[in-house]
Amino acid sequence: MSKPVQTAVACIIAIAVFTGAWLFMQSGHGAASSAHAAMPSAAAKPATVDSTRCIAQTEWMRAHHMQVLNQWRHDSVREGNRTHVTRDGRRFDKSLNTCLGCHASNPMFCFMCHQYANVKPTCWNCHISPMESNK
Amino acid sequence: MNQDRRDFIRKAGIGALAGIGAAAGLIPLFALEKTDTSVFSDKPVPGKTRWGMLIDTRKCGEGCSECVARCHHDHNVPDFGKSKSEVKWIWKSGYEQAFPTASKQFQSNDLAHRKVLTLCNHCAEPPCTRACPTEATFRRWDGIVSMDYHRCIGCRFCMAACPYGSRSFNWEDPRPALKTLSPTYPTRERGVVEKCNFCSERLVKGQLPACVESCPEKALSFGDLNDPKSEIRMMLASNETMQRKPELGTLPSVFYII
Repeated sequence: MSKPVQTAVACIIAIAVFTGAWLFMQSGHGAASSAHAAMPSAAAKPATVDSTRCIAQTEWMRAHHMQVLNQWRHDSVREGNRTHVTRDGRRFDKSLNTCLGCHASNPMFCFMCHQYANVKPTCWNCHISPMESNK
Repeated sequence: MNQDRRDFIRKAGIGALAGIGAAAGLIPLFALEKTDTSVFSDKPVPGKTRWGMLIDTRKCGEGCSECVARCHHDHNVPDFGKSKSEVKWIWKSGYEQAFPTASKQFQSNDLAHRKVLTLCNHCAEPPCTRACPTEATFRRWDGIVSMDYHRCIGCRFCMAACPYGSRSFNWEDPRPALKTLSPTYPTRERGVVEKCNFCSERLVKGQLPACVESCPEKALSFGDLNDPKSEIRMMLASNETMQRKPELGTLPSVFYII
């Protein structure tokens, strides 16, 4: 191969590499900025309750529902941050009513297990359970 | 070239400084992109809004207590039927009781007998939140003085601190004193203090407070005091208004047209 041809090939390769890198960065940057733009609008949307599945696994909820309720109370009452986003991106309103929307039968859902575990939470001294309002 | 250790370190230091300086000059500012943390959470910006109310006492009907009934029903406020254990969120006082430091010399007969709607003032400088030892009562991001009943230990310091008598103590269990339970709001327990919450449970749904909505004379207006274009600010600008006990410096968010 002659020298001018070698130089031309090198130049073309160099330009291709630079263009490729530039396009790659542009596409990456573009994707990042569009994600940023999409987030506030998604946050502004009110949380809808997806009642087909719980916010977490049953086993985990069984062990941690009290911490979840404490955290939700802190977030919604003190900070005004009312939207819970699960790891798979589903959104829930941080409210006891979100739980009661599905778990409406507290003799089955709350009391049986609390009695077995011998714990006496005072939730229903103030919060009106769905069973009471149905009366 | 002879170079001792000290000279080398000195030159290396100057070189490093020059390098940092050149890097700071060469790397443009937009490369250090600012992180907008607000996109990562739904948290409201504290102090952006300040909810306030304007009560037109001229329109407030004599003998009408529609707002009181509606509020007390919606929030499960018990009626024990005796003044010692009375619980109230919103109520009517005489003009002299509501504005004890206002001038009463040669006042009109109408004013002397006028009933004034009174409720928690949701002060910008609330004395009650300073008195609370457990932070059960606190000023929210939107100016509402809120209560966390879970945290209230019933010490009643806030009741002593409030200059407007806006707080009530549950001397008895409120449940038996409630004829009908409103399922949209919890009740309280014996031994906690309670007060008006400016219907924060309705505001979050984009609704007006129950008292504002239920007034048949439209004597109550509600809005954001921090927004100069809001209806309440327009009305405050075009009317002469009063606050309760302004000399105390609590900066109430409830205003009155007399």
